[in-house]
Amino acid sequence: MLQYIIRRLLLAIPTFLGATFVVFFIVQFAPGGPYDQQMNALRKGQGAEGGGSALGTESMAIPPSQLEALQRYYQVNEPIWKRYLMWLGLFPRPVNDYLAEVGEERNVGGGYKVVARKDAATGLYKVYALDDPSTPLEDWFVDPSQKPNSVWLYQREVAGIFTFDFGDSFRYRKPVTELISERLPVSMQFGLMSFVITYVVCFYLGTQKALRHGTKFDVVSSSIIFIAFSVPGWALGGVLLVILGGGSGIDLFPTGGFQSSDYDNLTAVEQILDRAWYFVLPTVAYTLGGFASITLLMKNSLMETLGQDFIRTAYAKGLREDRVIWLHAMRNSIIPLVASIGGVIGIFLAGGYLVETAFNIDGIGRLSFEAIGTRDTNVAFAFAVISITINLVGSIISDFMLALVDPRIRFS
Amino acid sequence: MAAPSSSSQTINQRRWRKFKGMRRGYYSMIILLTAYIISFFLPLLVNNKALLISYEGEWYSPAGRDFLGSLPLVSAIAPSSFDPAEQYGETGNKGEANYRELQAKWEEQGSENYIVMPLYPFSPNEDVGVAGNESFVEPFADDSNGSMRLFGTDDNGRDVLARMAYGFQVSMSFAILISILEYLIGIPIGAMMGYFGGKFDLLMQRFMEIWTALPFLFLIIIIVSFVNPTFALLVLLLVLFSWMGIAAQMRAQFYRERLRDYVAAAISIGVPTRSIILKHILPNTLVPIITFFPFALVGGISALVSLDYLGFGLPPPTPSWGQMINVGLSNITRYWLVVVPFSAMFITLTLVVFIGEGIREAFDPKVFSRLR
Repeated sequence: MLQYIIRRLLLAIPTFLGATFVVFFIVQFAPGGPYDQQMNALRKGQGAEGGGSALGTESMAIPPSQLEALQRYYQVNEPIWKRYLMWLGLFPRPVNDYLAEVGEERNVGGGYKVVARKDAATGLYKVYALDDPSTPLEDWFVDPSQKPNSVWLYQREVAGIFTFDFGDSFRYRKPVTELISERLPVSMQFGLMSFVITYVVCFYLGTQKALRHGTKFDVVSSSIIFIAFSVPGWALGGVLLVILGGGSGIDLFPTGGFQSSDYDNLTAVEQILDRAWYFVLPTVAYTLGGFASITLLMKNSLMETLGQDFIRTAYAKGLREDRVIWLHAMRNSIIPLVASIGGVIGIFLAGGYLVETAFNIDGIGRLSFEAIGTRDTNVAFAFAVISITINLVGSIISDFMLALVDPRIRFS
Repeated sequence: MAAPSSSSQTINQRRWRKFKGMRRGYYSMIILLTAYIISFFLPLLVNNKALLISYEGEWYSPAGRDFLGSLPLVSAIAPSSFDPAEQYGETGNKGEANYRELQAKWEEQGSENYIVMPLYPFSPNEDVGVAGNESFVEPFADDSNGSMRLFGTDDNGRDVLARMAYGFQVSMSFAILISILEYLIGIPIGAMMGYFGGKFDLLMQRFMEIWTALPFLFLIIIIVSFVNPTFALLVLLLVLFSWMGIAAQMRAQFYRERLRDYVAAAISIGVPTRSIILKHILPNTLVPIITFFPFALVGGISALVSLDYLGFGLPPPTPSWGQMINVGLSNITRYWLVVVPFSAMFITLTLVVFIGEGIREAFDPKVFSRLR
């Protein structure tokens, strides 16, 4: 068992690398990213300084040192695999990048001053602390610059998604991890709620449908859940918002958002009610699509079990029907339901940005969707990484649960 | 398989009869097919161009030319449907003729020229720029020209009914195309993986695992945000990210079937691999994917609506349900802007699901016996 889990985890690593590389490649390929935006900003800035002439603003050249700094910051001249490894955090990336004239002292932050000098023996540049000009500093590195008699001084740092460093958001000017952890609770609450509701409803409905197979209840409920499955949840949510959200119709629910503006002034009970009031419509939108597959899974599984010989034996022993169904059949029927848990976790996140956009909820889905529009690449990356991780972890959990609840499954 | 008691029927005939016997699925299919076929004639039914014009003894049919232009393949050689107003006596007006106005004018003058308009004389993309069009006309109300707008108009004064109807055509064609292409890619890949196994199978499995782990809608949005989306590109992207389901299904089927005796027999008498795969195994593996087809359609329609809603779908001003819902959700006091496209989508998807249920029941009946 332990061996199986370890192997399963190891197999997930190449998948993770492959999937993240595809995402990285596509996002890097997209024009108009932070690098292009900064270049444009610089061009415009130059135009304004240059006397405000409308002519020639586009052709106004960016000072070479600034251009170089920008190129170095975004590593546009590095090959894609190297950037990918840096982004993963497997390859050190340059930080604290300073342009310095050779032999001149350079302030590198915190009042700390260094100087770069050519090593007479090897012909290589080395960095020395001002107060100790004899031994070169080991943690500083030197790159050539296009500017005559100048070099770039930098330090190296291993920081990437493996060290949980997703970089800074270009738009919000703060670390992506901070941004996401601010909004994750909102998305998580909806996700968890939908998860619980889905399983409770599906378990009950699936059982009832199996026990009443072929009846009107079964046929009608099948149609309803199939239709619910096919209609996108966010779209139904949108209609409910218009009809029940006070737009045009009954003003029963808020028109989106997450909580009332005076939420902090409410008492504890009122706070819970307030949340619940805001939760109803989005939760409907979230859960709707998930009902069909799990309900049918439950139903078919229970029906199959009910047709087996040991059930006949149980009845033949004279056991009561309740006992046969709930104790003998259920324990065997619930296996596929448990195994589906891993897959369901991902669904709530994947469709999240649609529901969150429709309902104006400030969750990570909406954050990342907006990040695409503003080319906030680091945020988009983070969301993609989270999605991929959840997908993979979900399938591992499924396999693990399956092995746990089904004694017949032995992995070798 | 045991023959039915009466006459000799092939298994497909029996399935078809069973499907026909399931009223709901059968009628859903008739309704949906009819609607889809009619939707190809939309330029003749819902259009602001005249179906027929008699002007000074000459006959014209701009809507007819529009219809030719809307057909695939023919469109390349179809004549333009643009007629300047001066062609019909509006001297000096080089803009497109407004046939509704012309009709009213000629009727008023009692002239011998006359115009026959399509059944519903509004186009999906004509906005407030055309005289008489207003934003936010309510359903069943008249616009300022006194023409009845059955489902009202949107924020740009475009007719909601016309957009909904053309949106149906776009959605269905899109979904059908995607599903067919998905099958065309997924079936051979899955079949080869299952039949040949070995290294190819292993490699493809790893690849599919990676491909399935990707947040595909998110990636499509990213790609569409920097490449100009066209109908063909969107189809390509969606197919690219959604053939794995079919392939996995086919792989499992082929994997199982190739160990059967009839395959061994075929191999031993020297049947070429190609015909073993195509003639012997393939027909035995089609049931699950045939029953899946309607649900592939559902997936295609939903994906397009979602992308259009987010603004990363078909380029404007293509009439699409997703774009209509988007407009509706930013104008939530105008209920018809959301309710109309949603209902159209809801009804379409419901019909598809009913068809799917019927097909599944006919092809793959699950018989459960309950012992007690």
